[in-house]
Amino acid sequence: MHRYRFVLSRPLQFLPVLFGISIITFILVRLIPGDPARVLLGTRSTPTAIARIRAQYGLDEPLWLQYFYFLENLGKGEMGKSILYKIDVLKLIATRIEPTLTLVLTSVALSILIAVPMAAIAARNNGRLADHVVRIVSTLGIGFPPFWLALMLIILFSVRLGVFPVSGYGETLGDKLAHLVLPSLTIALSLSAVLTRSLRAAMIVALKSDLATAARARGMPESIVFWRHVLPNSLVPTVNLLAVNIGWLIGGTVVVETVFAIPGMGQLLVRAIFSRDYMVVQGVAMVFACATVLVNFLADIVTVSLDPRVRL
Amino acid sequence: MSGPVLSIRDLTVKVPIDGETRTLIDAVSFDLARGEILGLVGESGSGKSMICRALVKLLPSPAIAITGGTVLLDGKDLATLSEDAMRAVRGAEIGMIFQNPTSHLDPVMRIGDQIAEGIRYHQGFDPREARAAAVEILGQVGFPDPARQYDNYPHEFSGGMRQRAMIAVALSCNPKILIADEPTTALDVTIQAQILRLLMDLRDKRGLSIILITHDLGIVAQTCDSIAVLRNGQLLEHGPKRRVLAEPQHAYTVSLLKSHPSMPEESGGTPLTPAALPIALQPLLEIDDLVVRFPAPGLGIFKKGKTEIAAVNGVSLRIMPGETVGIVGESGSGKSTLARAILGLTPLTSGHVSFAGSDLAQQRRQTLAKLRTEAAMVFQDPYNALNPRLTIGDMLAEVLKVQGNTPAARIPERVGELLDLVELDRAFATRRPRSLSGGQCQRAGIARALAVDPKLIIADECVAALDVTIQAQIIDLFRDLKTRMNLTLLFIAHDLAIVRNLCDRVVVMYRGEIVEEGRCDAVFANPRHAYTAALIGAIPDIDPDKPLPRGDLPPRSEPKAAPVVRGQPLISMQ
Repeated sequence: MHRYRFVLSRPLQFLPVLFGISIITFILVRLIPGDPARVLLGTRSTPTAIARIRAQYGLDEPLWLQYFYFLENLGKGEMGKSILYKIDVLKLIATRIEPTLTLVLTSVALSILIAVPMAAIAARNNGRLADHVVRIVSTLGIGFPPFWLALMLIILFSVRLGVFPVSGYGETLGDKLAHLVLPSLTIALSLSAVLTRSLRAAMIVALKSDLATAARARGMPESIVFWRHVLPNSLVPTVNLLAVNIGWLIGGTVVVETVFAIPGMGQLLVRAIFSRDYMVVQGVAMVFACATVLVNFLADIVTVSLDPRVRL
Repeated sequence: MSGPVLSIRDLTVKVPIDGETRTLIDAVSFDLARGEILGLVGESGSGKSMICRALVKLLPSPAIAITGGTVLLDGKDLATLSEDAMRAVRGAEIGMIFQNPTSHLDPVMRIGDQIAEGIRYHQGFDPREARAAAVEILGQVGFPDPARQYDNYPHEFSGGMRQRAMIAVALSCNPKILIADEPTTALDVTIQAQILRLLMDLRDKRGLSIILITHDLGIVAQTCDSIAVLRNGQLLEHGPKRRVLAEPQHAYTVSLLKSHPSMPEESGGTPLTPAALPIALQPLLEIDDLVVRFPAPGLGIFKKGKTEIAAVNGVSLRIMPGETVGIVGESGSGKSTLARAILGLTPLTSGHVSFAGSDLAQQRRQTLAKLRTEAAMVFQDPYNALNPRLTIGDMLAEVLKVQGNTPAARIPERVGELLDLVELDRAFATRRPRSLSGGQCQRAGIARALAVDPKLIIADECVAALDVTIQAQIIDLFRDLKTRMNLTLLFIAHDLAIVRNLCDRVVVMYRGEIVEEGRCDAVFANPRHAYTAALIGAIPDIDPDKPLPRGDLPPRSEPKAAPVVRGQPLISMQ
């Protein structure tokens, strides 16, 4: 169908975007004060040792040449070597990406599972008690900072009830998921609050819309009116809100990963920044940026599939 | 005919507001026979839609309730039926179609599925049977290729086809009664004639009874068997069509009939002849071979500049000072684009627009400055065209300040004068658009245009959204203003009767081109172009003996329409 034609043409537009991202991350990382060689050597740093390390990592070359090497390596699928871990950045990221990816996916799934029923209940009982409860809960969800929520969840579920592990990440799939329940719940509680508010508002409008009246006028029961007509017509704004939030979430798992000691990208990034591990910071930033571009692309596809009027 | 299908007795609907109870429908009684088309006539707020909503118990707010009376359908009293039992009535016994098919069809659901939905629910068909039944209904309401069009979405059709789809949805479960709430108000006059024909055909073939809600007495005269006139929730008059039209009993019915634009009052409405105006050799507005093209939507960045739609295609027009010119044509004919191009609101592709001697294409800045101080526009939807946060007084003062011709101290006085001019009470200066009626709001819109102290006013469909009696008042206002202030008026409308009443000269546009132009009386009495004739013929006349035409447009290759319009309208009927 030709309304999906943008799926083929859009990726070409990503090239200049990614090029821009690479320049920005490259320059920003080098604006961080401090010298990675000095950090690496720590107390053992002597001028000669520093010079040797700088030569080894190409840090003594002019900036434009460093950027050129960076691009050349990107073309070969390499992002250089980590100064701190002494292994290829891409390999390093590969070991860390899975926990973060799983965390984001479970958080988003959990958020949707919470938000859709909550919004539905609130919208269908607009102005009544259930609506007020949902609105208060979602305001609280937005209001509480994630680190505090995380600690409360740990105290309740891990320490008191002993249901889920306190922190860390498992080996087997079941074990990993058990470790991710509380972190995803932490994220989902605030994310679902944002989604609920947006979805509830759209649903209230759609419930009063002409198309809902028309469906009722042909004798459709309220449940069909709601799930078949109101819901599909109120999803689009929330899908885009979700996409923006996922983009933000990918880079924002740091707090949750730190509290729950999950060996993910967020943790890797923080450590890399503190140790001036240029290559890793660059690599992680590139991955985050690409993920954000990809998420928005997926959101566009979902939007088009939800609303046949949209042309991209 | 054996007994009425629907029998309404003393139906009363009330709503509590601020501790008081307001009566929306006041003890209305009437019968609807099998195969009868009943025209329910009245202005907005008269309760005509409310009655129909009450019949199917889909009242717009839970606070509004039926407080008395009976609605008998086959011996069942709908007024006391439970919600569950009502669901079996809605759709299956009483189908509804609405004024705006675009908002009443689900935009994200295939047309066919919306028809099949009711069939599956009410008749228990499986998906395949329901699809077959829906395809058949689509064929009946005039879809040329129903099997394929089943899978199209509403936005892929023109307004007329959407209304056909809406009718198909209403017919899907074989109802006995069809309630049509202003089904053609949003449509062009030729499409309106087609839809009305369709409704009458369906009545003949299926023995449907139809309640047709409308404000247009012409439609009633052409299609209905009987007429019910409503005002303030009360049924003023009810009877066979011919009797009500010929000998109206109630004064209100008489005034409704009078304000119908197809019956111009010869005394008040003599159009000014250009000769009676001060002699001016220089036209105020001169348009020469104007072309406005837009890039066709929906193309990627790789195909730039390939396809364009010519909204206005080679239009030439001269307007003398003091003249009143009507531009008529259907939606998509380019009349609004022309208006926007004249005011410099949309870029010209080629050709010239010169206003009071300066050329918009060549001296853009000077001409724009001139236009902004000497021309003004009145818009179709007065509520959307006025800033809801400003009071009417602030809005007018803003224009006066920007124009800079009125000393600050004199602005309040001038605002008052402007309100006097449009016959609004000076107290309206402190009110906001939301608290005004449609007609009052449009008067405020006209006052804003007058605040510029313009030579030229362009009114774009400025009465299309108003009730007939209000329309007549606004037209009178324009007539009065143009003589008093020596205004040049460019009046854009799809309603030919209004143009005929107001204008000296008429320009007929079709697919971006002028197909006919001439003095109003001459064009209406003797249209030379087949499209003009079709447009005029499609107006439902208030005389029931003049038959409603089919509303067919002439074929594309008309002798005088010679140059073929490049580019297609966004949505075509095929």
